[in-house]
Amino acid sequence: MEAPCRGAELVTAAVGLAAVACGAANILVWAGPYDGIEIGIMAIGGPDFFRWVWGSLVVVFGGVMMLAGARQMHAVPGYGKVLLGVAMIGIIGGTDIFALICENIPAGEGAQFFNSATGFIGAFAPPYPPAVVLLPFALVIGCALYAGRADDGC
Amino acid sequence: MGLTADERWDLVDAIAQRTVAFGISRQTTGDVLGELTVKPLTGIPTALAVLYAFWSIFGSFAGALVTDGFMIKLFDGYWLPWMQAAWPDPGSVHYFLFVGDPAAETCFEAFGMLTSGLFVSFGVVLPAIFVFYLMMTLLEDSGYLPRLAVLMDTLLHKIGLHGYAIVPAILGLGCNVPAVTATRTLETKKQRFIMMTLLALFIPCGAQLGIMLQVVPDTVGWVLLYLLIGFVVFGYVLSRVIPGSNPEILIDVPPYRWPQRANVAKKLWNKTRGFLTNAVPFVMLGILIVNILYLTGFIGWLADLAAPLFVTWFGVPKETVGPLLAAFLRKDLAVAQLATIPMTSYQMITAVVLISIYFPCVATFAMMVREGPRQLLAAIGVLAAVVLIYGGLIHAVGILLGVA
Repeated sequence: MEAPCRGAELVTAAVGLAAVACGAANILVWAGPYDGIEIGIMAIGGPDFFRWVWGSLVVVFGGVMMLAGARQMHAVPGYGKVLLGVAMIGIIGGTDIFALICENIPAGEGAQFFNSATGFIGAFAPPYPPAVVLLPFALVIGCALYAGRADDGC
Repeated sequence: MGLTADERWDLVDAIAQRTVAFGISRQTTGDVLGELTVKPLTGIPTALAVLYAFWSIFGSFAGALVTDGFMIKLFDGYWLPWMQAAWPDPGSVHYFLFVGDPAAETCFEAFGMLTSGLFVSFGVVLPAIFVFYLMMTLLEDSGYLPRLAVLMDTLLHKIGLHGYAIVPAILGLGCNVPAVTATRTLETKKQRFIMMTLLALFIPCGAQLGIMLQVVPDTVGWVLLYLLIGFVVFGYVLSRVIPGSNPEILIDVPPYRWPQRANVAKKLWNKTRGFLTNAVPFVMLGILIVNILYLTGFIGWLADLAAPLFVTWFGVPKETVGPLLAAFLRKDLAVAQLATIPMTSYQMITAVVLISIYFPCVATFAMMVREGPRQLLAAIGVLAAVVLIYGGLIHAVGILLGVA
């Protein structure tokens, strides 16, 4: 195992905290009177129970796992928790991106079957759900952690 | 043979030296994740994430991409107009049976064997079944499903089952036919009876879910919530009422593994082929029989007869009798038929729940017959009682909320 690195622990804790905050905000906005709020490239909340409540609950749990494991992320129990937290954020972000791809391969209303290339790419313009914004950070942490452990021969 | 104790131990040492490898055991990533995913504190959030992924991928692929994106355009834009133009004599009986309504603009409305039948089978249900079984196979082969069984064990014991009952329950979300077969893995007659009854009542199949997502997307969440509540409440009641034991079991939890592509492809092909050969003929036959029943006036007569029960007790329009009859042949078709009946949102929720709980489809019914006539009769008795009680309760909730 590598020697504990405070920087990595802090980054993991920060991403975990951001996940908890974004997930909780999604649920609160969904439950409140607003349909959704845009903050920069991020869209918070929406009308869909499945995505904004169930999905956000998973993001909150993912963030909590990352926070719980951050202090001991170079030991086995902490490492597992952080990896599981990363996987949970990855699942929500990944399925959000998959949904975008599936929705935008076909053309909308009309006689054509396939969307144009510009139409398809245009669908990936911001704003993004929080899990998609958190996804690159979570993946970097997950990959670094996994690679570090693989180097250790585990 | 006269080995002394020392000689026996020497023999043991000799065998151990040749067969046992010694070294330092270290937890792999799979071991760490394997442990965390069976502990309730970390395992339940993981289960929530896995099931979210399951349903999200199911909806995105089967709903948004294949059915909404391509199949509706193909069937409504090309196949239906071509059939309506090419089939001779729009006023004839054969036109009504095979093509359906000559003025229909969508395959859902047409309700002919070669229009709605083919659209439902290949445009809606096949993609839903394909992606469902793909996800199911991946969960099974990766080793996650036994962990889910361990997690669910305590909860399922409350309704007289054990953790592995989660396998038929999830399988039932694809198709109730293999799910009924999977109840054989349960230990006692009591457990098999409870699971089979709950499957027939409260687990909508993939075909039905696919259609529900297609025609009543806004009410699917409420329908599933009602079914989940019914599953737990009636499971609890059945476990108290039915005599028999509910033994503890030991679950073998394998290590996590990457699913093998060849195995996944083979399982997926076998299951999809099973759907194509077993379910598609039922869909086509179902539409044909329902159309004949409409033509002969039988459904109209039955609707009049059952109207007081449906309107007063369940709070749904009397026209829902037709779809409920069709539900015995295919529940997915019945939901599609409901979409064409004008009613309020709450009536739609009640009607879809009723279709789910009212009777198993004919393919599931045939499987239940194979499991034994006594069990089947008892299950039908329970089904009838539950439909009356639960259907009435949902109506009562609607009245209390002021929406029914």
